[in-house]
Amino acid sequence: MAVLVVLAVWEIAPRVGAIDPAYTSQPSKVIAAGIQIVRSGGLLEDISVSLAEFAAGFALAIIVGVPLGLLLGTFRVLRYLLDPPIMAIYATPHLALLPILVVWLGIGMQSKIAVVFVGGVIPIVVNSIAGVREVESSWIAAARSLCAREWDVFAKVILPASLPAVVLGIRLGLSRAVLGVVVAEMFQSQAGIGNRIMRYGSEFRTDYLLFYVLLVSVFSFTATWSVRALEDKLWTSGK
Amino acid sequence: MTGFASWKSSPIVLGVVFFAALLLLWESAVRFGWVNPFFVSRPSLIAASLSREVQSGELQRNLAVSLGEFAIAYGASVMIGILTGLLAGRFCTLEYILDPFLWFLYSAPLIAFYPIFVIWFGLGAPTVIAVSFLLSVTQITASTLSGIQNVDPGLVRAARSFGASERDLLWKVILPASVPMVIAGLRLAIGRVLMGVVVAELFGATAGLGFSIAYYGGLLQTTNMLASLVVVVVLGVLCTQALSALEAHFSYWRTDLRI
Repeated sequence: MAVLVVLAVWEIAPRVGAIDPAYTSQPSKVIAAGIQIVRSGGLLEDISVSLAEFAAGFALAIIVGVPLGLLLGTFRVLRYLLDPPIMAIYATPHLALLPILVVWLGIGMQSKIAVVFVGGVIPIVVNSIAGVREVESSWIAAARSLCAREWDVFAKVILPASLPAVVLGIRLGLSRAVLGVVVAEMFQSQAGIGNRIMRYGSEFRTDYLLFYVLLVSVFSFTATWSVRALEDKLWTSGK
Repeated sequence: MTGFASWKSSPIVLGVVFFAALLLLWESAVRFGWVNPFFVSRPSLIAASLSREVQSGELQRNLAVSLGEFAIAYGASVMIGILTGLLAGRFCTLEYILDPFLWFLYSAPLIAFYPIFVIWFGLGAPTVIAVSFLLSVTQITASTLSGIQNVDPGLVRAARSFGASERDLLWKVILPASVPMVIAGLRLAIGRVLMGVVVAELFGATAGLGFSIAYYGGLLQTTNMLASLVVVVVLGVLCTQALSALEAHFSYWRTDLRI
């Protein structure tokens, strides 16, 4: 209801001349721009570039982050060693690394993949560590007293019990990763959604820009929502 | 033997040792020519560059600009965020009105709105403040709201049955009980503000830490760039640590919550 009111005001205010439409555009214009973008056929190309960068970077973040987190959670000395650098990166705005990554890896896809990776991997590692550490110690003791080998303790007790925290880390990493792709493309790139956003922004094409921003928001929301659904399933099945 | 064991397992000692080893490896890897210094620079060069920037006043200038933007954005978002969260937690109608917008802003890549803000406010500090404010205020509002919603209804009922007025309820039950969540929101928001400031400055500003990173990046001067990055990292660690300390101070109130 409130959404409808805001949309109506947004549509009507520029029409009656209360606001300059160049600043805010209008819902109808954004839809029209969307139709035009879809018709012109360039959209699929931009989506595939951005999606490829996102998928590569985030897959890498999961492949590296989950085992690293589980390892650090299990071995205390290793955790103490790596804790300060990980915390420093965690506290740093990861997007501040953009310029240096561009210098190292160029303005192509590699630097975007790296930004996505850095943004995604840290929450995954941190939450995986927390997941392992919060495993009920009596469960481990119980498994040990039933003569479980170290590997069995890990694979059959620690791993399943820390899974919800791992998935939580993946969800938190996800939104950072999406932001990473878009902002990295806005910063320096040759193609992709972020590239479009920056280009239309500098051309003052507010309607086109808003369509792309909405597209990213919908993607980010859907992805987060589906991981959250998976998470809820794990929590309920774990209890 | 026990002394050795406790030394070995001390997290601070191990962390410092590892950090020092990392710096040493970095320094020597470049000195011995294993890596190209153009790309990674050297810790000693970065330190020299930092002290040069301090002497010329460049660092202080950039830091002052960034911290100013940071303070305005964070201060405004703390006040408005907590107030909105409180009101929305108290009045259902407001919550229903705000909810869709809050979720949209929370999941939208807000920095992508940056070009629109440039159209509205021009390049420079106002745009940087607007982006960081928006990033932070959604987090604080959402946390405050969920803090109030998670207040134990038993406490509220108990206070009511002892004849507490609405005002007593707010000041003596609801606010104290939601403090841990509010502080958690403040901690998460401080990271978002810092990111907003630095990233918005990367894109278009005339001063500030983010600007300095992008500027030296454009000149391919890795050393100066990494020097500014180090300052950002230190700032991030300090902010997070300060808020974590504040959180720990209030944590004796914490009950079991899953956010």
